[in-house]
Amino acid sequence: MKKKMVSMLLCTGMVLSMLAGCSQAAKLSTVMAAGKETSSSTEELAEGNYKIGIAQFAQHGSLDNCREGFLQGLEEEGFVEGENLEIDYQNSDADMGTAGTIAQGFAAKGVDLMCGIATPAAQACYNAALKTEIPTIYTAVTDPVAAELATEDQMPTGNATGTSDKLPVEAQLKMIRELLPEAKTIGIIYTTSEVNSESTIKEYEALVGEYGFALETVGIATIADVPSAADTILEKVDCLNNLTDNTVVSALPTILDKANKKGIPVFGSEVEQVKIGCLASEGIDYIALGKQTGKMAAQVLKGEMKAEEMPFESITESNLYLNTKVAENLGISVSDEVKDRAAETFTEIEE
Amino acid sequence: MSIIIGVLEQGMIYAMMALGIYITYKILDFPDLTVDGSFPLGAAVTAALMVKGMNPYLTLPISFAAGAAAGILTGIIHVKFKVRDLLSGIIMMTALYTINLKIAGKANVPLFSLENIFDNKVLDSIVPEAAAPYQTLVMILIILLIVKLLLDGFLRTRSGFLLRAAGDNPVLVTSLAKDSGKVKILGLAIANGLVALSGCVFAQWQRVFDISVGTGTMVIGLASVIIGVNLCRFLPRVKDTFAVLIGSVIYRACVAAALQLGLQANDMKLITAALFFIILCISMDRKKKVKAHA
Repeated sequence: MKKKMVSMLLCTGMVLSMLAGCSQAAKLSTVMAAGKETSSSTEELAEGNYKIGIAQFAQHGSLDNCREGFLQGLEEEGFVEGENLEIDYQNSDADMGTAGTIAQGFAAKGVDLMCGIATPAAQACYNAALKTEIPTIYTAVTDPVAAELATEDQMPTGNATGTSDKLPVEAQLKMIRELLPEAKTIGIIYTTSEVNSESTIKEYEALVGEYGFALETVGIATIADVPSAADTILEKVDCLNNLTDNTVVSALPTILDKANKKGIPVFGSEVEQVKIGCLASEGIDYIALGKQTGKMAAQVLKGEMKAEEMPFESITESNLYLNTKVAENLGISVSDEVKDRAAETFTEIEE
Repeated sequence: MSIIIGVLEQGMIYAMMALGIYITYKILDFPDLTVDGSFPLGAAVTAALMVKGMNPYLTLPISFAAGAAAGILTGIIHVKFKVRDLLSGIIMMTALYTINLKIAGKANVPLFSLENIFDNKVLDSIVPEAAAPYQTLVMILIILLIVKLLLDGFLRTRSGFLLRAAGDNPVLVTSLAKDSGKVKILGLAIANGLVALSGCVFAQWQRVFDISVGTGTMVIGLASVIIGVNLCRFLPRVKDTFAVLIGSVIYRACVAAALQLGLQANDMKLITAALFFIILCISMDRKKKVKAHA
């Protein structure tokens, strides 16, 4: 009997001390939370804990920027990784099967939201979430309508919405005209297997006439075709224009080398390309695009909007990036007006 | 639980492809690279036909036929034009890239809004709601079982025996007054038919055709065959065709587990290659010993 009493006492003692410990920990955490609040006065943590699965199709500068921006956008809305947000980031290394496995994994784990970066990843997430309640937010999908993620009126086909990284084609053409008043023909090298490139080329075809250009295109299948394609097209054009075509962008140094030898300017589609030697680009800022996407995701997580009610968005404003060193090498004079408009000007060519 | 279902689904879809590779690699001893093109061929044919409004079940035999045609062409290039086995596969694979793009019309064809073999009005009305999460799995299982039983049956027929002989001992086939070249072509046709069939099911499962879907098909298939056959050697009375099936599911489970553990997909290819190399070395070792005794 005595033994039992003792053990009971011990037990209560233990329970009590545990409770005390708990309350102390709770106090500590409130103190810490208070400290956090004072340190970041503009941001307030959203209530609850959230889990987001990010499926990125491939390792790629622009896509990485998208992801970074996405997290920043969420943070601005009070979803901070490590605080009230758990991020499960997976990269499918350009493999459709793996993209499927990743998205299915997210659905199985029951994440609060899936984020698909680039078209195939977005489609994989959308497919995996079809029979669940999990919303999908995508980014870097050039043509959500062609990908059947949205209808013509920009409204989602299902519980998925996001942002498009459609190129500002008109702004680009206008800029090329400004820099090269005499040019007649624009050349584009593109990969036949990239849907995004194909739809952008259609847009160029429709618009070049308005700016007094003719369009020459050459399609390639693999990166190995780039040198001969560049040789062929450089015979016929006054300038080259890049899309966000992954294969062509990877081979950009080869193209630049060949074009420079002939004194033909190459226009880029994003800031990174201007850095390494394209003359100029009216491009979108992928970090900003990611941020915009992150804010959309925050709205969905907070329950303010449902993904299926939100039209997909795209960045309407483009930024001009300029490389004056390239202009100098090619003997192209850039007006002060253009120089002033540039969001960023590079005076050197990065190797 | 649902992650296991996902692994089983994908593993069993790829198992049909692995059965095809089993025929070329294990039975015919023919390193057939056509598969990197015939897998997306099945998917492309399926996407094109489904967009045109064809019944999704009909795409299964048509994809098989398309893949078989590709296999026959590889066979003809090899047997009739005397191009080396590896090269004839590469020729066909390269040609199929363009052909697949032409068939599908573009590099990425979404099929979200269309009825498919897993999801259609008829099936939804038959299957009770409680079984709905397993609907896809059961459908794949049924297709896979039919394929496996048909293949087992075929391997027991006269042509099946000849097929097996053509790989092990082509002289025997010739001495039976049969053309070993024709037998090879037949084997390649069946193998690539199965691979294309797998591509067809995959496209409907993923609800999208993408030209990149075929990249690495050969590696996945070979890994499944080698893992399955070598593991099941220790089990009594397991048919090779069943072993391949197990291998495919194990391979997918490994991929899923690696992803769960936080391994990057970028690293996975190297790990796959290393695993592959080790398993091949182990199985090679046995072969050498057998030869030394013989």
